[in-house]
Amino acid sequence: MSQANGEVIRLRGLRKIYQMGSQEVRALDGVDLTLHRGEYIAVMGPSGSGKSTLMNLIGCLDTPTEGDYHLNGTLVSELSEDDLARIRNREIGFVFQTFNLLPRLTAARNVELPLVYAGMSLDEREERAAEALAQVELSDRSHHKPNELSGGQRQRVAIARALVTRPSILLADEPTGNLDSRTSEEIIALLDSLNQAGNTIVLVTHEPDIARHARRVITLRDGKVISDEAQTPPSTAQLAKSTS
Amino acid sequence: MSFLEAIRVALGSILANKLRSFLTLLGTIISICAIIAVISVINGLNLYVEESVSNLGKGVFVISKFGIEHDRETFLKAIRRNPDLRLEDGEAIDKACDLTDEVGVEVHSNARIKRGSHFLDGVDVGGVTQNILDIEPFELDQGRNFTRSELLGNAHSVFLGADVVTELFPSVDCLGKKVTVDGQLFTVIGTAKKRGSVFGMSRDNFVKIPITTHEKMFGRRRSVNISVKARDEVDIDEVVDQARVVLRSRHHLRYDEDDDFGVVTSDGINNLWKSLTAALFAIATFVVSISLVVSGIVIMNIMLVAVIERTREIGVRKAVGATDADIRRQFLVESVILSCLGGFLGLIFAFGVSTLIAAATPLPARFPMWAPALAFVICTAVGIFFGVHPARKAAGMDPIEALRAE
Repeated sequence: MSQANGEVIRLRGLRKIYQMGSQEVRALDGVDLTLHRGEYIAVMGPSGSGKSTLMNLIGCLDTPTEGDYHLNGTLVSELSEDDLARIRNREIGFVFQTFNLLPRLTAARNVELPLVYAGMSLDEREERAAEALAQVELSDRSHHKPNELSGGQRQRVAIARALVTRPSILLADEPTGNLDSRTSEEIIALLDSLNQAGNTIVLVTHEPDIARHARRVITLRDGKVISDEAQTPPSTAQLAKSTS
Repeated sequence: MSFLEAIRVALGSILANKLRSFLTLLGTIISICAIIAVISVINGLNLYVEESVSNLGKGVFVISKFGIEHDRETFLKAIRRNPDLRLEDGEAIDKACDLTDEVGVEVHSNARIKRGSHFLDGVDVGGVTQNILDIEPFELDQGRNFTRSELLGNAHSVFLGADVVTELFPSVDCLGKKVTVDGQLFTVIGTAKKRGSVFGMSRDNFVKIPITTHEKMFGRRRSVNISVKARDEVDIDEVVDQARVVLRSRHHLRYDEDDDFGVVTSDGINNLWKSLTAALFAIATFVVSISLVVSGIVIMNIMLVAVIERTREIGVRKAVGATDADIRRQFLVESVILSCLGGFLGLIFAFGVSTLIAAATPLPARFPMWAPALAFVICTAVGIFFGVHPARKAAGMDPIEALRAE
């Protein structure tokens, strides 16, 4: 599926228009973007700039009013609901601001959830979930329920859940929005290391401190991309220091 | 998501709200309990009637002045029209029919049976031909049957039912002892084994005397019952036809006239009984269906609440790849399991209730073995029917909206 040039996502002329009564709201107004494998991108912008709409479209939770969206070469903007569900399941890993773990399930079961919908057997699921939890260094908490975990641990479980299907892209929507600054650093450090390991990450944030970690920063305003710049993130050595 | 997985998720959420689930299911539990208990009673009654009431003996039917009349008109007509049956009618059938094994005649009256200071009033006194004890399902306990000479010679010999024995001979052997029947002295020649009671009425409160003696004492102005036993390997209906031909010609009936006597077979009694209980069953089913609909609505209501409560969960599941069909199945399976759980509990209660009824009342309730299957089918149907709407609602949720829900 992957393109020779490592292109994961290509958006062309993407528009999302909501009808609010008689008023037309252009949440996204002609976005052209190309994201490559292994990139670490921060999407910034004030509230109402269309960040969340962009995330929902990239995450296949929503379909554009206009424009084309190619994911790994597939035109997903014209797929059916069921096909979109399959793509969410296999290609996309979501990390939410509010974690969105199911409170009745243990950490391990939460991580397994996407695999349930992939139709994987229980044994295989457990193995993969344990692997993902090890990746976020939470193996010892796998049988705890979300309310027995700290905020940072919860978000790490959520990240493990996003990783467990080995998706093409990890979408993190304000992943540190509900965490204190020290825990935020931990989560960001985790995302950094996941990117180093080869994962493609799109991070939505309004905090410049967080965005600083990404290698590319896209800024939106009024549904349009107003800047798209590469940047040099802090070195791994520096990060290691700050998290230890 | 596999079916098994859906069941696991459903059980998890039902058990997470135990009290609520139980209260939701109360309606289902009561409905299923009621219908199964009613079925148990009817089933018990049917078996009881088959075994006790209508059990005339193998290949036996009875011809009497009146048959089993299903409506008032024919019954009134039969009262006006049907002549009494006589001992001679029985003899004629015995002579003319080659398919009969035994033809017995019995006539009934009531009298006081007395021995010393002990007595019983209103005892059924059967005047019988000697073969009646072979035809009717009696088992000889002690002594012997009548002999042919006793029958011909107006002998004062008497055969006692178990109740009469217990009452008049509480501690002594009764064979050869004297009792009085309606003031006349009789010698006890034999006793019958206990047959038990039907609907609280004892079937052992009888004595039998020779029919000739009975005629002397009570007169001939009573219609007799003719008991016919078919030969082995002969279809009972053919024997019935033979006997009818004999009686019709004795009564000079034209070919287009109805019988002026009744033929009672075990099947006839069973059919009458079953038509009665079928009506009872229909009414009970109707009442219970109403309460099942109500309990289905309660399940639907609680499922709608569950869908709202779990809006966020639905959003998460959709975000990680659940299709609409997955979500629909999850909630449908949950409502079916909920409903079947109610059915299961109802079944357990029904089992208890029918056992209790059988133990504490004269109603012979018997829990039918197919009841669990019936309850399962009903509950699955209710669960699906009332689960479809909530499940659709859950499946149709927009994942973005759902994830944003509080």
